Amino acid sequence: MTEAARRLGPQGGADLVLKDVVSGYGAISVVQGVSVNVRPGEIVALLGKNGMGKTTTLKTILGMVALRGGSIAVDGTSVSGLSPSKLTALGLGYAPQEQPLFQDLSIRDNLRLAVASDAKLSQALERVFDYFPFLKDRLKQPAGTLSGGEQKMLILARALMLRPRLLLIDEISEGLQPSVIDKIASVLLNQRATSGVSILIVEQNLDFALKVADRWAVLKLGEIDDEGPAAPDARARVLQHLSV
Amino acid sequence: MRLSRLAPLVAATVAVAALWVAPLFLDPFAVNVLTRSMIYAVLAVTVDLLWGFMGILTFGQAAFFGVGAYAAAMMLGRFGGAPEWIAAALGVAVAASTLLGLAVGWLSFYHRSTALYASVISLVFPIVVTQLIYSGGELTGSSSGLVGFDVLPFEPAGFFRLAAMVLVAVTLAAWVFVRSDAGRALVAVRDNDARCAYLGLNPKRLQILMTTVLAGVAGLAGFMFANASGVVAPENAGFLFGTELVIWVALGGRGTLLGPVVGTVAIDYLAANLSGNLPFLWQLLLGATFVAVIILLPGGLAELASRVVGWLPSRRAEGFAPTLRARASLPASRDYADPLLKVSGLAKSYGSLTVLENIDLEVRPGELVSLVGPNGAGKTTLMRCLSDGTEPIKGEIAIDGSSTAGLTPNRIVALGIGRKFQVASVFESLTVADCLLLARASHDGLSPVGRAQALSLPQAAIDVMRMTGLDRMLASPVHLLSHGQKQALELSMVVALEPRMILLDEPTAGLTKAERTTIGTVLRTLTGELGIAAVLVEHDLDFVRQISSRIVVLHQGRLVLDGTVDEVVNSETVKTIYSGGGHD
Amino acid sequence: MLLILDVLTTAAVLFVVAIGLLAIFGVLKIINFAHGAWITVGAYCAVVTTHLGLNPWVALPLAFVVGGALGALSELFIIRPLYRRPLDAILATWGLGIVIGQLITLGFGRDVQLTPNLVSGTVNLLGVDYSAYRLVALAAAIVVGVAFAATIEGTRLGLSARAVIMNETLARGLGIDTARVRLLTFMIGAGLAALSGVLLTPLSSVDPNMGVGWLIGAFMLVMVANGSLPALALACLAFGAAQVLISTFVSPILGSIAIAVLAALVLRINPKGFSRA
Repeated sequence: MTEAARRLGPQGGADLVLKDVVSGYGAISVVQGVSVNVRPGEIVALLGKNGMGKTTTLKTILGMVALRGGSIAVDGTSVSGLSPSKLTALGLGYAPQEQPLFQDLSIRDNLRLAVASDAKLSQALERVFDYFPFLKDRLKQPAGTLSGGEQKMLILARALMLRPRLLLIDEISEGLQPSVIDKIASVLLNQRATSGVSILIVEQNLDFALKVADRWAVLKLGEIDDEGPAAPDARARVLQHLSV
Repeated sequence: MRLSRLAPLVAATVAVAALWVAPLFLDPFAVNVLTRSMIYAVLAVTVDLLWGFMGILTFGQAAFFGVGAYAAAMMLGRFGGAPEWIAAALGVAVAASTLLGLAVGWLSFYHRSTALYASVISLVFPIVVTQLIYSGGELTGSSSGLVGFDVLPFEPAGFFRLAAMVLVAVTLAAWVFVRSDAGRALVAVRDNDARCAYLGLNPKRLQILMTTVLAGVAGLAGFMFANASGVVAPENAGFLFGTELVIWVALGGRGTLLGPVVGTVAIDYLAANLSGNLPFLWQLLLGATFVAVIILLPGGLAELASRVVGWLPSRRAEGFAPTLRARASLPASRDYADPLLKVSGLAKSYGSLTVLENIDLEVRPGELVSLVGPNGAGKTTLMRCLSDGTEPIKGEIAIDGSSTAGLTPNRIVALGIGRKFQVASVFESLTVADCLLLARASHDGLSPVGRAQALSLPQAAIDVMRMTGLDRMLASPVHLLSHGQKQALELSMVVALEPRMILLDEPTAGLTKAERTTIGTVLRTLTGELGIAAVLVEHDLDFVRQISSRIVVLHQGRLVLDGTVDEVVNSETVKTIYSGGGHD
Repeated sequence: MLLILDVLTTAAVLFVVAIGLLAIFGVLKIINFAHGAWITVGAYCAVVTTHLGLNPWVALPLAFVVGGALGALSELFIIRPLYRRPLDAILATWGLGIVIGQLITLGFGRDVQLTPNLVSGTVNLLGVDYSAYRLVALAAAIVVGVAFAATIEGTRLGLSARAVIMNETLARGLGIDTARVRLLTFMIGAGLAALSGVLLTPLSSVDPNMGVGWLIGAFMLVMVANGSLPALALACLAFGAAQVLISTFVSPILGSIAIAVLAALVLRINPKGFSRA
C-alpha cells in the first residue's frame, strides 16, 4: 500500500446509473437517450468522435446541463436537479476538458477552490503531492505557466482533492505525450485500488481508455452505439466506430 | 389584405377627428397638460423604436428634444415670431438635432460596438448638453432657462390639436414602417446583428440612420414643446428626463408603439393631477410599479392588455406570408480552373496561444472541401478568418484574386461568400418568410412602407425549402421551428444570397439521419450542378466521406493533409490522430 | 502643491464612491443603478447617528451594515431574476433607486440635512493650509482600497469571487456556490456604497437625491476600469486630475463633464478601457 493509499483509507466508490438520459442546449438535444452504469469501484470509458454528446453527458451528470428526460441516480438516489455544489459535497470530482484551469490563479489557489473549507486544505494538498510531487515546489506559480502535461496533472490533482467517491474525467489524455498518459493512468488505477472510487472517463484516446477502463461504450449521435468489456478484441471493435 | 392595410389609416383618421373635438369637452388645465403629454408621447414613440424594436436602450432622446426646444426658443427669442422666422426656427430645431443624432450615432455604432456602449453614450450625451446649457449664459438663460420668446399664434386648443396631429402622424408613420419589409430589419438587427452582417446588410448603418432620423423627430417635438409651453429649461434636455421616457415606454409596453403612447399620456396626465397632492407617494408608486413591471411583466401594460383581450394589432401581422416564386439564377459561367479562394501562409494567434499556423489552401468553384480534425484543431477559427477580414491574422486570404484584409463581414458577403454557423443563426422573432426576405435584401432592397406580395428566391433556395418542408411554413414564427428546420432555414437564407462559395460550420450537428441525408443532397446539388464552392467543417466523418470532393485535415492548428477522400481515409496519420496519439 | 493635493483627494473621493459599483459589476456583470441610492442611504445613516446623539464615526459601520442588508434584499428579489437581462437590470435598479429616494423623502423630508463634520479645520502641509477632512478622505480611500484588495486576494470569498469573474462555468463545475458568491458580493458592494455616502457628508450636501449626481461619474469610471481594481485607481487618478485641471484653468462646468466625456472617448478607442486584458 502506498503512502497516498494509507492517508486516503478505504471509502468505497459510488454507484452511478444513467437511464435513457436526454439533454442538450437550446433547441438541440445532444444526448438522446443514453444509458450507462458505473458500479462501485469500476472504471468505464465513454468513447466516440467529437460532437457525439460525450462531454454533454458528463455535464448533465454534474447538473450543469439540464436533464430533459430519463434519470440519473447515485447509489440509488436521484440526483437530477441538484446543483454542482451539492454534488461535489456528495463526493463527486470533475476534471473538465474545456478551459479546465484558472490560468491566472496560482496552482495553490486552483487546488484550494476544489475544497469547501481551508481547514482540510493542507491535508488534501499532501495527498495529491504524493501523486504529483512537482506541484509541491510550484504552488505559487500561475497555473497558466505550466506545460500542457503538467496542467493536465493539475486538473486531475484538483479532482482528487476532496477524496471523491465518483470521478468524472473529460479527455484528460488529449494532446499528451505517452509518458504523461502512463503517469495519469497509473494514478487513476492506484486511486481506484486504494479508495475504491468509481470513475467515468470520456476519451478519444483508445489505447489509454482501454488500458484503464473495465468496460467501454461508444456514443454516436447522442446514443450508445456499442459497448463491451475491455477485452483484447475491444480495440479493433471500437476502431470500426471511430475511423474515418 | 386591402382592408388590413387601410385599417391603420382609418384608425388614425378617427383618432385625429376625436382629438380635434376633444378640447371642446376638456377643461383648460386638461388641455394644457394633455398637450404636453402628447408631445412627450412623440418622444416615447422614438424611444420605443430604438429600444423596443432595435434593442438600443437610450436615455439620449431627451437631449435631442432639449436641443430642438432650445434651438427654437433661441431663434424665436432673437428674431421674433414672423411666419418666416417660425419656419426657420422649425428648420433649425430639426436640423440641429438631426446633425447631433448623426454624430451620436456615428460615435455609438461601429464594427464590434456593443449595445451597452450605445447606452453609455446616450447617458453621457444629455449630461453634456445640460452642462452646456448651464454654461451658455444669456444665450441659453443658464439654469433659469428661456422664457418670453414669441411663439406660434395659437390658443391652447390650437396647440392641443397641433400636438395631437403630430402625435398621430408620427405614430402612424412608425406603425406603417415597423410593419413594412424594412421594419423587419429593425427587429432582425436586435435579434441577431451578426446574422444581418453575414447577409450582406450593414446593421451599424441602419442603427446610425435610425438614431439620426429619430433625433430629428425628437427635435421636432422639442420645437412644439417650446411653442406650446413658452418656456424651456435645462431639465428638458437632461438625463433624468431621458430615464422618465424609458420608464413610460417600459410601463406602456416596449415594442408595441401604442403601449408607449398610451402609457406616456396616461402617466404624465396622472402625474400632473396627483403629484400636487401626494408628490412623493406618486413617485414612490411609479418607481415600485416600474421595478415590478421590469421583472414580472417585461411587455408592460400592453402585454397585460393583450393577455386580457387576447388580441392586439401587433399580433395579427404575424400571419402574413408572401407567395414563393423562383427567380432566374445567374448562369454558372465560371472558369473552374482558377481558385475562388486562396489562402496563403495564414497564421492566427490569441495572445501567446497560436491557433492556426502556416495554412495554405485553395478552393475552386464546384468543389466541396471538408475540414476535419479533433477539437481545438482550429477549424472554426479558420472559418472565422475566412469570413471576417477584420480578424487580425498573418498571411493572405484572397477571394477571386482580391484580398479580404480589413473587410467587415458584410463586405465579404458582397464578394460572394455565404456563411452558415454551427448553431443555426436565424432571426427568432421573425417568420420564415421574413428571414428569407432579409436574405434577399442586399440584392432586392426592402420597402419602407409595405409588404412585398411575392418572395422571389433562387431555385436552389426553394429546393432546400421544399426538401425540408419549409416552403409550407412561410408564415411560421421562427422560434416555433424545430432545430433541424432552423438549420435548413439558415441554409436556405445563405443559398438565397446566391453566393459563389458557402462556408458551413457543422451543418448537421444535432440533426436526425433523414435531415442529414437531405442536407447532403442539397450540398451536392449546389456544388455539383451550380458550381458553388463549399467549405465544410464537420465531425460526422461518414457524412464527410459521402459528400466531399476533397478533405483537409487540421491538427493542432496545422494543415496535416489535403487530399481526396480515399487518400485521407487510408492515411496512417489520420488514424493516429483519431485514435488519440498524434502528438508531435 | 495645492493642485496636487486637490487631484489626489478628488481621485480618492471618486475611488471610494466607485468601488462598490466596481465590485458588483466585476462579479455579477450587472450595472447597479441603485448605487446612487445606497450612497444616499449611507449619508442618511450619518443623519440618524447625529439625531441619536451618537459619535459621528458610528455612522461608518452602521452604513455598511444597513447598506449590506438592503443589498441582500435587492439581490434576492430584484437582481436575481434579471441576470439574463442585463439591460433590464439597469432599469430595475434605477427604479429601485427612485423608490429608495422617495422613501427617504417620506421619512426625512426633501430638505438638505446637516451633519457634523467628522474632522474639521485645516492642516498645514508643506506650506499649504489644506482641509483636514479631505486628507482624511484620502486616507479613507487608501484604507478601503487596501481592505478591498486584501479581501479579494486573501480571503476564501475573494478567491471564489475571482474564480467567478475569470470563468463562472468552471467555478460552478468545481462546486463553488456561485449564487452565494453573487449575494455576498452584492451585499459588500451596497455596503461600500453606503459607507462612501457617510464619507461624502462633509463634502456634499445631504438630500434625498444626492446619490444620483455621483452615480454617473462612478458608472463611467467603472466602465473604463472594466472590473479591475488597479484600473479603477488609475482611472480615478487620471480623470480626477483632468476634472481638477479643467475646472481650475478652463471652466468648472466643463470640468464637471470631463469624466463622462473622457471615459466615453477612452471606451470608443479601447472597449476594455484601462484594464490590461
